[in-house]
Amino acid sequence: MKLQHALGGLENLGPVNVETRVFVQEWEKRIFGIHTVMMAESAHLADALPKYPMATLPTAFKENWTWASLRTGAEGMQPFEYFKFRYYEKWLMGISQFFVDQGYISADELAQMSAYYRVQPDAPLPDRPNGPIKQQVVDYLLRGDSGLRPVPDAPRFSAGQTVMVGDPPAADHTRLPGYLRNKTGTISEVYPGAYNYFVSTGPDGIGEPMPVYRVAFEATHIWGADLCEPHTTIYADLYEVYLQSPNA
Amino acid sequence: MSSDLFKYTEEREAASAAKVRALEALLIQKGVIGSDSVDTVLEHFELTAGPFNGARVVARAWVDPAFKERLVADTPKAIAELALPQGMAGAEGEHMAAVANGPGVHNLIICTLCSCYPWPVLGLPPYWYKDPVFRARGVREPRAVLREFGVPVAEDTEVKVWDSSAQIRWFVVPERPAHTDGFTEEQLAALVTPESMMGVALVPPPVAAAA
Repeated sequence: MKLQHALGGLENLGPVNVETRVFVQEWEKRIFGIHTVMMAESAHLADALPKYPMATLPTAFKENWTWASLRTGAEGMQPFEYFKFRYYEKWLMGISQFFVDQGYISADELAQMSAYYRVQPDAPLPDRPNGPIKQQVVDYLLRGDSGLRPVPDAPRFSAGQTVMVGDPPAADHTRLPGYLRNKTGTISEVYPGAYNYFVSTGPDGIGEPMPVYRVAFEATHIWGADLCEPHTTIYADLYEVYLQSPNA
Repeated sequence: MSSDLFKYTEEREAASAAKVRALEALLIQKGVIGSDSVDTVLEHFELTAGPFNGARVVARAWVDPAFKERLVADTPKAIAELALPQGMAGAEGEHMAAVANGPGVHNLIICTLCSCYPWPVLGLPPYWYKDPVFRARGVREPRAVLREFGVPVAEDTEVKVWDSSAQIRWFVVPERPAHTDGFTEEQLAALVTPESMMGVALVPPPVAAAA
């Protein structure tokens, strides 16, 4: 498991930051926007819920790009490097590298173009509006990309049942917070249906549709009574593959 | 430590600004995106998806207890009752759920693995929510974290922390402040902040009325 997978519960970090701005630099808006356009253009949306007409979208972009792509990149960073960069700096690094790795742009042309805009920050962008992409971006934002799928099998667990959280290898990416591994909780809700995930996380186990549960954990059971605050319950939504019967 | 993140040198910020502009220019040149694509995204978060929607949901819950019950029981269905913009079940809002603060119960929303946030009703996550220190401490010492935000929570109040680790995007219905009798929904909505809908702020009584 990587540090990024196990932030919950780390001690000796000092005060929280109470910055309420979403963007602290104008440039951050642009990388957020590029990422969101990529999500709206992702090839996997052809088979999403709802289905989008990706085959006819006039874009050169032919990749899958989802939250899993961005998270896998952030979780793949050397952990101490991870904390040196502000949120959108990590996005800018990960997304630029993706386009270089996939051959859409070269590292050289990115460096040259960056040098150009470094000297002339107000030089305009190319003027090539694209109506169909604009429409797809709006459609994606308004209609979304739900992981809900019909469930063929009955959920293994039911509300009120005690469950033990597993400890699968986290591999490149996981949706199982580290502080919950090997802890015992109570199912507080069985969500109707089943949920897939954007990608297969390999030995971590999610990807194919499966039930998801809301699991309640007493903070004292996670941290120990002397090491946390009283009257605290933590709820997490966990995919079925992450849960085991406590007697198993 | 994390406050340093907002005091980077001008050189570092200018380099990032130039790189992102270069990236956008190249993606436009190569036909990956249009020159109006990024602006379309940003406009969506100015006009369609944002905390102005969540504030209206909360205001309705304050004036209509039956709506509040429906909201907590089936959040998407209750939200669909309101005349909000299209897209309230759109990106990052496909499966939203509201939890209500009340006497003896305080809710705090967190995403310890990343920054999952209910876009349609709250827009984009502020920096405090993305901060690794908040994500680390919020699940272990939520009262201490809340004190740093200026929110005192009594020892005997139950604190519920919601870690957004799968499909649900959570938000909080804060408690209605005092001195708001007779307020219209619009007046009430104006009091609601994004922070109050994530549980790190209370909604204070309106200044004029409290004075």
